[in-house]
Amino acid sequence: MAVHGVSLEIGDTGVTGLVGPNGSGKSTLFHLITGFYRLDQGDIFFGRHSIGRLSPHVISRLGLIRSFQHTRPLPFMTVLDNLIAAAPGQTGELIWPLFLKPARVRREENDLREKARGILRLLDLLPLADELAGRLSYGQQKLMELGRILMAGPRLILLDEPTAGINPTLIRRLVDVIHRLCEQGIQIFLIEHNMPLVAKLCQHVFVMDSGELIFSGTPKQAREEPRVIEAYLGRENHAA
Amino acid sequence: MSYYLQLLLNGVIAGAVYALFAVGLTLVYGVFRFINFAHAELISWGAYLALMFSSPPVSLPLYLAVIPAIVLTAVIGLSQDWFIYRPLRRGSPITLLIASIGLSYMLRNVLRLIWGSDLMTFSLPPARAFEFSGYYVTGIQLLMLASALLFLMILYLLLTKSLIGKSLRATADNLELAAIMGVSMPKVSAVVWTLASVFAAAGGILLALDTNLEPMMGGANLIKAFAAVLLGGAGNVWGALLGGLFIGIAENLSVAFFSPGYKDFVSFAVIFLLLLFRPRGIFGLLTGVR
Amino acid sequence: MDYLLHVMILALIYSVFAMSLNLELGYAGLYNFGHVAFFGIGAYVSALLSQAGVPVSAAMLCALAAAGIAGAVLAVPALRVSGDYFGIATLVFAEMFRLICLNERWLTKGPMGLPGIPRPAWIAPGVDGMPAYLLFTFLAAVGTFVFIRRLTGSPFGRALRVIREDEHMAQAFGKNILLFKVKAIVAGSVLAGWAGTLWAHYISYISPADFTLTETMLVLLCVVLGGRGTNWGPVVGAIAVVFFGEAVRFLPIPQALTRYVAPLQGIIYGGILVVIMMKMPNGLIPEYRRKNT
Repeated sequence: MAVHGVSLEIGDTGVTGLVGPNGSGKSTLFHLITGFYRLDQGDIFFGRHSIGRLSPHVISRLGLIRSFQHTRPLPFMTVLDNLIAAAPGQTGELIWPLFLKPARVRREENDLREKARGILRLLDLLPLADELAGRLSYGQQKLMELGRILMAGPRLILLDEPTAGINPTLIRRLVDVIHRLCEQGIQIFLIEHNMPLVAKLCQHVFVMDSGELIFSGTPKQAREEPRVIEAYLGRENHAA
Repeated sequence: MSYYLQLLLNGVIAGAVYALFAVGLTLVYGVFRFINFAHAELISWGAYLALMFSSPPVSLPLYLAVIPAIVLTAVIGLSQDWFIYRPLRRGSPITLLIASIGLSYMLRNVLRLIWGSDLMTFSLPPARAFEFSGYYVTGIQLLMLASALLFLMILYLLLTKSLIGKSLRATADNLELAAIMGVSMPKVSAVVWTLASVFAAAGGILLALDTNLEPMMGGANLIKAFAAVLLGGAGNVWGALLGGLFIGIAENLSVAFFSPGYKDFVSFAVIFLLLLFRPRGIFGLLTGVR
Repeated sequence: MDYLLHVMILALIYSVFAMSLNLELGYAGLYNFGHVAFFGIGAYVSALLSQAGVPVSAAMLCALAAAGIAGAVLAVPALRVSGDYFGIATLVFAEMFRLICLNERWLTKGPMGLPGIPRPAWIAPGVDGMPAYLLFTFLAAVGTFVFIRRLTGSPFGRALRVIREDEHMAQAFGKNILLFKVKAIVAGSVLAGWAGTLWAHYISYISPADFTLTETMLVLLCVVLGGRGTNWGPVVGAIAVVFFGEAVRFLPIPQALTRYVAPLQGIIYGGILVVIMMKMPNGLIPEYRRKNT
């Protein structure tokens, strides 16, 4: 789905939503922002950095980190290891320091381990720390994914349908975590289909349809905007 | 000038044979999306089987011996698919690739087991060269050109006029969709492998006619075939044809500038450069036909 | 007894070679079918330098550097493509190397090869030196094993596995996948060159015929049979392949049938590859990811 002429700005508000019917280009927009798709035209700014031409890993290092629509844990590693693996800029990932500065590598590993445990505690997943990630339920894996994102110390998190397919208890926990992250100053930009959740969580919402941005405002305003209603109803009729 | 034209002529003839190899390879890649290393052995086996049927005890004249040779090669090709590639189709393409490497090595050694590693030739009267205003072509080479043209023409008719040909092209475009639309996968599969084997065998026999037989003959030409496939865009039959001609001509012309020992380098360089800069191929765009 | 020493030395050399391929193939998921080129570069560079009078240890170090540089030279363009195309690109590279060795006779003596490669100063030539060489290769293999284990058990190794499993995820975690892959290839190439030097100075005669697609297939077999993505896998695979290859000589085969031995072995090797892919794609030692990666 091509994305066309989209121009939007995420301010300092905590949680921003991106909604729209299926196939409207929401995930594509995420791919463009995070560097997985190449821009044909235009640019993207993160703070004062122009990131439109950067590689995904560089964008991630700047603090703009995403989740994927279909969560992919590393199934044969433990939950704890899954988180540690996600931390960027590890000295142990460079070859020379690995052999020349083993003490530092070890110290970093321990620090990361502590940090990971802290994040798991925040997510209420600490009891599962030594469990193989493949054995977790889908919802738990999604929470773990958020944990991995947090290991990287993000400033803005892009969440792609974080509540899809998980049970209400875990959804509540997720919402809880999101609130706490906002308190810490981390901004969240999320794609969601769960409208009540969007209304509760987001201060601001963007609506897309067929690759274009059709609305920008509060969730309440979005619900009453005729173009938004038409976009959804139109799709529902076709789907039905 | 005439020196270059002679080289060009040689190149066209060699290229025709490479085109036969490449067409089979690209057909398989187009439909199944993996590079069959054992294609090399379809080439070798075609030639060796022709040798077998034209030698005692069967001792058929060569033009008759090619028929059972090609048929049996098709059996080998179909068996490759039935026993090994089909069960692995759901796996990763790398698994298929490695399996095809193993299969290729196996088949090559069966060849060595039966016929040994020495060079062999078809027992034919020495080639008569025809002269056309200063350029030399042997009877064999004319035969090669004519046969290659014949095969390619049959392929053209098959792919464009027949129902099975159309099913093939549909499948190459989209494997899953074709299956849903009712194209019979086993049937397409059988046709693809038969075609690939027939072309490989024919090319192998022609190659052996022009040069000789040895167990590595298929392997040595596989890389050239692959270069041709890449030139035409993987999966594009007509591109592979043009690619084969290009490789043949380029190789033979290169002799005028470089040492003959580096002839093979042409296809290596082609592959490397294409993979680097144009993995989609060049000739595919020119023909525009899929 | 001498023969047993010979087989053990070969098995150890092939272990190093297989471990080096496993680093790229098993851990990083890079299907480098041209790995034999670095084995050959290591062998040729070390042989040529030592024949020119350079002390063997210095020649070996230069050979390692040469192999590493060649690895980098291949990696940067070849990594632009992925999967089976990468396999083909690397394979073509190996064939290009072999062709150059065949043709540049002024340097490599072409198909005649290089005879009379000297042993390291502290090892006697020929059969007398075999026990010492065995010790040498044993230490070399152990050193390689320890090096690789440290590498793969480290955050670097962990990152390689993440990249192997899911490149997009690795990028989303800020890992520069291109750089990681290049490093893996360079490390693998240096070690392959190491195996090559060990081999050249042992066998004392090398030629382009020693670095063909067959050798590529054999080392691939070692890795795939033994189990990729583990540290012991390639070692087990190398020992199995070399011992099987050489053990056949001990069987009482009548003279008339000896010409069938090599092709039969070849059929078995190829057959094992096929069977492994179909039945046991993980090899003899499956990659058992423990808690403490």
